[in-house]
Amino acid sequence: MNLTRLATDFAGIRMATPVMGASGTFGFGVEYSDFLDLDQVGAIISKGLTPLPRAGNEGVRIAETPSGMLNCIGLENPGIDVFLRDILPKVRKEAPNTAFIANFSGSSVEDYGIMAEKLDVDGVDGIEVNISCPNVKEGGIVFGTDPKAAAAVTKEVKAHTSKPVIVKLSPNVTDITVMAKAVEEAGADALALINTLTGMVIDINTWKPLLGNVTGGLSGPAVKPIAVRMVYQVAQAVNIPIMGLGGIATAEDAIEFLLAGASTVAVGAENFVHPDAVVRVAEGIDAYLEKYNLSHVSELVGKVKIG
Amino acid sequence: MNETKKLVEIGNIVSNWELSADVNALVLECPDIVSVVKPGQFVMIKNEMGSTYLRRPFGVADVDKEQDLLLLIYRKAGKGTQELAQLDDGGPISVEGPLGNGFSFKNEGRTLLIGGGVGIAPIIYTARHLSKELDGPKPVILLGVRNHKELFWSDFVENFAEKLVYTTDDGSYGRKGFAIDAIPDILKEYPDIKRIKVCGPTAMMKGIAELAIKQGIECEVSLEKRMACGFGVCLGCTFEGKSGKRWKVCGDGPVFDAEEVFG
Repeated sequence: MNLTRLATDFAGIRMATPVMGASGTFGFGVEYSDFLDLDQVGAIISKGLTPLPRAGNEGVRIAETPSGMLNCIGLENPGIDVFLRDILPKVRKEAPNTAFIANFSGSSVEDYGIMAEKLDVDGVDGIEVNISCPNVKEGGIVFGTDPKAAAAVTKEVKAHTSKPVIVKLSPNVTDITVMAKAVEEAGADALALINTLTGMVIDINTWKPLLGNVTGGLSGPAVKPIAVRMVYQVAQAVNIPIMGLGGIATAEDAIEFLLAGASTVAVGAENFVHPDAVVRVAEGIDAYLEKYNLSHVSELVGKVKIG
Repeated sequence: MNETKKLVEIGNIVSNWELSADVNALVLECPDIVSVVKPGQFVMIKNEMGSTYLRRPFGVADVDKEQDLLLLIYRKAGKGTQELAQLDDGGPISVEGPLGNGFSFKNEGRTLLIGGGVGIAPIIYTARHLSKELDGPKPVILLGVRNHKELFWSDFVENFAEKLVYTTDDGSYGRKGFAIDAIPDILKEYPDIKRIKVCGPTAMMKGIAELAIKQGIECEVSLEKRMACGFGVCLGCTFEGKSGKRWKVCGDGPVFDAEEVFG
């Protein structure tokens, strides 16, 4: 893999490749060290962190769906303080060269500011603001569907950090470009899209929802065309860089997102199935650049030909 | 903790045959995983030709280290396992493992191994390990099955068993009732039994765990829960133990001390 043509600066975050491990599917990165070389991972995006530890939702949390999966984990995590004390030092020791992006959410605007300030430490290269988790009542999605609330959260976070701020958008809205523009105006340095689509599975033998939380977030290859469309629309509407994600399983998938206007991508559910996927996608992009005689991955960004 | 490096290996199907109307056996040649996997550990497998997306966890039923063979026994319960049952010899299956921590072993006393339904699968390798690899006293093996059509397990375990006891739901073979009902007689006959290891439906494990705790017998249970990854990142399979600590069935288990789960 030719890292010189893959090295990417994403809103000030320097990455070996433009391919990251998406929040909630990549642990804290080090869980993947048996399966891939972490030096070849563009960035580790942490499991969603919250101010206090969370046990997550009760009952069944995972369901297979056609070409994908539903989850309703409910942001299970050890909380920001345990993360900073125990996990971050371990990650920086085991993956010293990989960019690390901390994903977090809160249940009030103030929470988001407090979290941003706590994460404004060495070893964190950027922060991803989760306003789009569909599986918790008191936060996340509430801020992800109202442009004013999303802007307020973004401003609060920007006021409390020196790190590049990525805001992760929900696809569960009528017009995602409205959300994207609101967040851009509020000062976001970059956008990540899409988070999962809300879905539901019913067990026809019990007549009950299969998931403990009734609904869950849909991810995997099933959502990819929706995600590509949304990245394309948002790329037309904003000037800040975009991380594209949603159903990426192969380099070909990732290249679609780049052509649609994303300058980086993240692999999500596919990490569960093929734990070397982040690196395999980067290698495939590199082979594609070689094949088309392109000198850098950025030459693909937004190059979709319309009309 | 499992210190063995996890890997993904393409295993070739050596044979894939029917044991009963709804249970199949699958033998895969996969040398790298076979050489390191321990009793009670599991693998996540994916049929790359199939229509399902996620891998599925399978407890390792047995290994043949000389011939690099891995045995899996599975119930054809859903689309993924039904498609798996259709695969011909020679076909490739992606195997990820070894995952989780296996049973723990001590060199004293006799072990009572108890399995229920397809949870019997990991009992085979565990029995082989106790009787052949550790060369200790052969375990007593107690198997709870639905009826006399599920006695195929004998072929896999009888060489490793001091005594093999069946219970059937309908009384069509062995003792009628649940596995737990047979335990008092076994303990009376084998007072040297120092520990119990059990893998089966939750209700069965709970009852046996409570009995073991009451009688002061060490007991390990092997849990099963829906999971997407198998190595600690999806958090689909977590639960809170009696100590208040949160565990991942995949990475911290699937084998746990019975007191932490059911105490």
